[in-house]
Amino acid sequence: MISQPAMRFDQPGRRLQGLLAAIGHRRLIRNRYSGILHAMIFVSFFVLATAIVQSFGSVLFPGFSLAPVGGDTWIALAQDVFAIVMLTGVALAAWQRLVLRPARFKGSNNTDANIIYILIVIIVVTMLLEAAFAIVAGSGASAIWRPVSATLGAAFTAMRMSPEFASQAHDVFYWLHVGAILAFVVYIPGSKHRHMLLAAPNVYFRSLKPIGQIPRPTPEVPPPPLAAATDFAWKDMLDTYACTECGRCQAACPAYASGLPLSPKLLITDLRDHFVTQPADAPIVGPTISEDTLWACTTCRACMEVCPVHIEHLPKIIGMRRTLIENGNIQPMLQTALSNLQRVGNSMGTASKMRARWTKGLPFNVKDARKEPVDVLWFVGDFASYDPRVQEISRTVALLFQRAGVDFGILYDSERNSGNDVHRVGEEGLFETLARENIATLSACTFKRIVTTDPHSLNALAQEYSAFGATYDVVHYSAFLLELVEAGRLPLGPTERRTVTYHDPCYLGRYNGGFDAPRALIARAGCAINEMGRCRENSFCCGAGGGRIWQDDSAMTERPSENRIREALALGDAELFVVACPKDSVMYGAAIDALGVSDRIKVVDLAELVMSAAETHS
Amino acid sequence: MHIMVVLRLVADLGGDIEIAHGGKDIDREWVDLKLNEFDDHALEEAIFLKEIVGAKVTAIMIDGDGVERSLQTALARGADEARRIAVDDTDGPISSRAMTPVVAAAAAELGADLVLTGVQSPEDIFGQLAPSLGAVLGWPQASAVSSVKPDDGSTITVQQEYSGGVSAAIRLPLPAVLGVQTASRPIRYVTGSKLRQAMAEEIPRIEATAAVAMPDVEIVELRVPDEAGGAVMLDGDADAIADEILRLLADRALLQVC
Ligand code: SF4
Ligand code: SF4
Repeated sequence: MISQPAMRFDQPGRRLQGLLAAIGHRRLIRNRYSGILHAMIFVSFFVLATAIVQSFGSVLFPGFSLAPVGGDTWIALAQDVFAIVMLTGVALAAWQRLVLRPARFKGSNNTDANIIYILIVIIVVTMLLEAAFAIVAGSGASAIWRPVSATLGAAFTAMRMSPEFASQAHDVFYWLHVGAILAFVVYIPGSKHRHMLLAAPNVYFRSLKPIGQIPRPTPEVPPPPLAAATDFAWKDMLDTYACTECGRCQAACPAYASGLPLSPKLLITDLRDHFVTQPADAPIVGPTISEDTLWACTTCRACMEVCPVHIEHLPKIIGMRRTLIENGNIQPMLQTALSNLQRVGNSMGTASKMRARWTKGLPFNVKDARKEPVDVLWFVGDFASYDPRVQEISRTVALLFQRAGVDFGILYDSERNSGNDVHRVGEEGLFETLARENIATLSACTFKRIVTTDPHSLNALAQEYSAFGATYDVVHYSAFLLELVEAGRLPLGPTERRTVTYHDPCYLGRYNGGFDAPRALIARAGCAINEMGRCRENSFCCGAGGGRIWQDDSAMTERPSENRIREALALGDAELFVVACPKDSVMYGAAIDALGVSDRIKVVDLAELVMSAAETHS
Repeated sequence: MHIMVVLRLVADLGGDIEIAHGGKDIDREWVDLKLNEFDDHALEEAIFLKEIVGAKVTAIMIDGDGVERSLQTALARGADEARRIAVDDTDGPISSRAMTPVVAAAAAELGADLVLTGVQSPEDIFGQLAPSLGAVLGWPQASAVSSVKPDDGSTITVQQEYSGGVSAAIRLPLPAVLGVQTASRPIRYVTGSKLRQAMAEEIPRIEATAAVAMPDVEIVELRVPDEAGGAVMLDGDADAIADEILRLLADRALLQVC
């Protein structure tokens, strides 16, 4: 099948390092039970492969034996021991799949998994029996090196089995063993267990690009829409064949949890089935992957973070969204938002001249960075500028900056939406327009660095504008405020110690590694953090990202933001739900209202927390 | 068929509207301009007609701030040509009534046989443009049109909306002028990449061949509507609120409580 190129042959050292980490089960072990059982099977597989070499070698090459290198001694011992490890691993796996039945397996090919368990059990048991009969027949490794087989052999002897019978039985089980191995080898390529072969190359050829970028072939050429198999790169195809159907991505996905028709796992397996069964030019978007599936994604990246074989779901989703945009398949609400962005540079459709209106409530004038040099240029973002609920927080941030004597300014009505989410909606042209307008405005200003309250703007400015040759020193306000506090410029007073929890915004945490600064600030403000289970890299998206905030959520059974508030409530003692993204104030404020729990937990922005601590400093 | 679409930029009501000094206009310093929504539908209908029966679509606007970009957008949407018409500098924006002779002359020069424009605009709330264009050109005219179907080439049938969900099918001979209320289909999204291509196109600027009509009405004063007071917010639980409503209705003798 014809496919697009992907540059994945660079940096062999780094690639190998990642592969070793994967072999070390770094991601798999996050799920303790399945991580351990997988490690048991994985290691046993390599040890037992020696038995396979021995079985096949001895018939194919008469006289071949592993005996000179320890085939009858320590290798034999290892085989015996790991046969038990393997059987235990398989038993744990079967228990999980048949009894525990975690939801992440929903939609996976469970029959396939069961067939493999049976084949493995047959291979291992025939191996043990073969060795046991050999011991009874007086051939093969000595009993000391095969404790398990020897025990079985002792049982046969106790049942008065004759050496002649044992010798015949040995031959029978030898052939059963070989037959089962052959069946296994034939079965693997057509099953999800082909990941045994493809996982390693898939991890090796993973993307090493900064994760906040959607790679652009050249500044002039936008990434293409993905419409048919021929538009996908070979690595995209390898991804789909390497999928183990483990469902970790599905379990982490906020869209799936909210009842929308998106499972990142099924997305990958549906694509795989399409690649295998459909003509290369058959349309994918629509017939195979539905519009609703593609629009459901918040681009939170949780799926990619957990996938043990480093499958890249998001570039595929966004690429297929580009096809939807190109064909004009856009839901009315999203169309309104995009048209507004085209017209006035913000999704609300409010006049661009109103962008800096929020500053009117401040006791001082905010500098116009277009007219005078500033130390710090504050890129405010749409929600922080226009949403009445967030404007108050923006004013708090401004007051904090003033308190710390920061020389800062804003772009007033020249600021445009950063385009981060427009880009992820698949609207390349609009993204480029917004980005280039902001870059042109910024290049006419004098400043040392950019601070932004909005993680989405942070990602665009720090990671994406470089595609057009513009790089900036950008910090999120969490890191900036921490700097001010640590430098003694923003002294914080004693506060009453409260227990809070903190929500990692996807575009601050997973995308830009901003995990620690907000936590350090919270501690400085005198609060103790009780972490939710899904924190840091495994944070659970509020549901607003990737253009979801511009779409209808009436089809959801439970909004991700409400799911998240429930998680915070279950901590029992968190009074405050601390956020560090303007969209989060909106999303979680609404979720708390919808759940009617405003008496139990409150959303508070990091800036408000810091301000209350600053105010107690005399 | 050659369709001419007349587009107008109007104040974006998404901003706060304030009355300018002098009290005769809004303060345009703080408002953005946007394409009049009904004109947008007129453009969509023209492109729809082009797609189903084949027509040439020319979009025109009286030149001014933001006009070039709007016309580039029209090209990206599917218009074949666009013209901005330069008129002598007048004070402030030109009203729909005042632009009529200029637009009518353009229609004649372009050889249009169908002129579409929005049925009204926030600044032309009575929808004068289409009727007065019809009058100046001497062409038949219909307003509040929600769909246009060409018949045999010399006539068109349009659907005209009345209030209460009633509509009429009207046949008009060409050439004609229509004030469009809604297009036959929702407005299509034009992608950023198409827009970017269109941005590279320069829109020809032509001189008006007719004079702007002198206004025969004058704005004496512009005011924001008086705040309507008297709203009462009711607090409390459902029972308390229900009692309160009952009491209020009874007090006003709107309800007899026995
Ligand atoms: S990015 Fe997030 S929402 Fe999208 S598929 Fe992955 S986990 Fe689901
Ligand atoms: S994509 Fe990755 S995480 Fe998801 S099911 Fe496949 S292997 Fe598991």
